[in-house]
Amino acid sequence: MLVALVGIAALSIFFVFVGSGLDFAYIIPRRLTKLAAMIVGGIAVGLSSIVFQTIAGNRILTPAVMGYEAVYLLLQALLVLILGTSSLMVLGDYGNFLASILMMVAYSLVIHHWLFKGPQLDAGQPLLVGLVLTMVIGTFTQFVQLRISPGEFAIFQGFSLISFDRVEPVQLLWSTGFVAVVCLAGSRSLAVLDLMALGRDQALSLGVDYQRHVRLLLGLIAVLVAVSTSLIGPTAFMGIFVANLAYACARSERHRVTLPLGCLIAIGMFLVAQLSVEHVFNYRTTVGILINLACGAWFLALTLRFRDIA
Amino acid sequence: MIKVTALAKSYGNRPILSDVRAEFSSGHLTSLIGPNGAGKSTLLMLIARLLAPTSGIITIDGTDIASLAVGDYAKRVATLRQRPDCNMRLSVEELVTFGRFPHSRGRLTAEDRGAVNEAIAFLSLEPLRNALIDEISGGQRQMAFLAMTIAQETQCLLLDEPLNNLDMKHAVQIMQALRTLCDELGRTVIAVIHDINFAANYSDHIVAMKDGAVHAAGSVSEVVTESGLGELYGLDLEIVERQQGCLCNYFTQKGKTR
Ligand SMILES: Nc1ncnc2c1ncn2[C@@H]1O[C@H](COP(=O)(O)OP(=O)(O)OP(=O)(O)O)[C@@H](O)[C@H]1O
Ligand SMILES: [Mg+2]
Repeated sequence: MLVALVGIAALSIFFVFVGSGLDFAYIIPRRLTKLAAMIVGGIAVGLSSIVFQTIAGNRILTPAVMGYEAVYLLLQALLVLILGTSSLMVLGDYGNFLASILMMVAYSLVIHHWLFKGPQLDAGQPLLVGLVLTMVIGTFTQFVQLRISPGEFAIFQGFSLISFDRVEPVQLLWSTGFVAVVCLAGSRSLAVLDLMALGRDQALSLGVDYQRHVRLLLGLIAVLVAVSTSLIGPTAFMGIFVANLAYACARSERHRVTLPLGCLIAIGMFLVAQLSVEHVFNYRTTVGILINLACGAWFLALTLRFRDIA
Repeated sequence: MIKVTALAKSYGNRPILSDVRAEFSSGHLTSLIGPNGAGKSTLLMLIARLLAPTSGIITIDGTDIASLAVGDYAKRVATLRQRPDCNMRLSVEELVTFGRFPHSRGRLTAEDRGAVNEAIAFLSLEPLRNALIDEISGGQRQMAFLAMTIAQETQCLLLDEPLNNLDMKHAVQIMQALRTLCDELGRTVIAVIHDINFAANYSDHIVAMKDGAVHAAGSVSEVVTESGLGELYGLDLEIVERQQGCLCNYFTQKGKTR
């Protein structure tokens, strides 16, 4: 944990100052905004993935895999289609943001009903359904995309890959606020999360109101996903990578260790990807592509191994 | 005292339990026996509130259990499931500490630590205190989970096959521990036990279940009879009374099992 913290501090300093020419008027504030976006986004991705895995009792499921981000993109495409290029103006930053949060919460209700209410499913099934859902919603989104004009399409394209370039300070402020509120609301559930990892029955017999906590936590996850997707874009398989790396690195699997560690790993990945884009690839690739490539490959390896075990 | 009245449970149209009536008296060890699939676990999980009954009432000291809050119920009743699993990397001590959650809600006091130490010592788990749950044997894991339920310090303990996976010595140790809980601490223990000899020699009462209903209930001498058990399991058996206790021999059968 300490190592991760120091590593991230070093990377951050490197990111903010190297090649900035110490331009405090423009370059450094701009980079600080990006850095803040990485931190807020990283926290949102780390928390939402690990908590989701705990309540799903499954280590290859994350909100992204279960179609949350696909729903977000569909919403954006529909907004662009209905309201045109001006969608951003009409709704403003907050309107869009609030709409996204509402949409995510609504989708959580669907997931909740299907994943946690019915009979216990075996581990592979939800994954399959999640991926199919993601695909189906993705196809809908493409369908909508084909009906919008090239100009609108360009706007929409901006939404569909991770990037720190479009972050606006105001939006950043909002996001930080939301993440802080979620952390505060969730901090009281920290001890409960460890028990929930033992499964519904064990948690219930130890006096945890399981249903109520599942609902609360899914609500908080919905807010986190809305924040991270609208701030930095869809993270696809990154959450699985972050969560599993956190479990592997932590000596204990208690949430007070894995959650902060997961957040640090996510932030670290963003920093490394951004630095690679700037200094290694000279902007010939994007952060989104790098992260998707690395995490996608890793996810593939994980599912193959998972099939061996199951 | 736990009292079950006209309890029924069905999955879809399939009845699993029907019209179950039973009483489990305070400060006593009651064994639930019966063939596989008889509904013992289902009954225990209904009492534990891990399943919801289709109809019927369960009361604890006269209060309907459905009216108690989850958190309060966990201070009165602790449950060990038939196959406890844990997909988290935890040490035995951490697991046992979870048993304190109903009291501490995650903030451990000196009293909580004391209870954890006592539970570990009670089952002689000292040497395994820091071992990881997924790196100990099945029997040791069973003991660790039992220690967690004991650390919960509830008036009533519901144990589904606590002897599962245990060798003779550990099984004896657990049964003695359960007796101590009843005799010295006045706890009420309801345990599903498949080994009829353990059930007969250590329990105060026995409730025998068959096909989703209570087949027989009463003191050990009332339930453990050659005809009664023979009918319950469909086996020929012989009960040998000895100075140290009774012994039920069902290992040799005259013909094929009925
Ligand atoms: N979730 C479920 N859905 C449908 N049927 C179930 C379910 N759980 C249990 N049953 C059925 O209920 C019956 C009783 O099961 P239960 O687990 O209570 O038996 P048991 O007496 O504990 O058996 P064992 O000694 O093998 O543990 C069985 O026939 C089983 O098939
Ligand atoms: Mg059973």
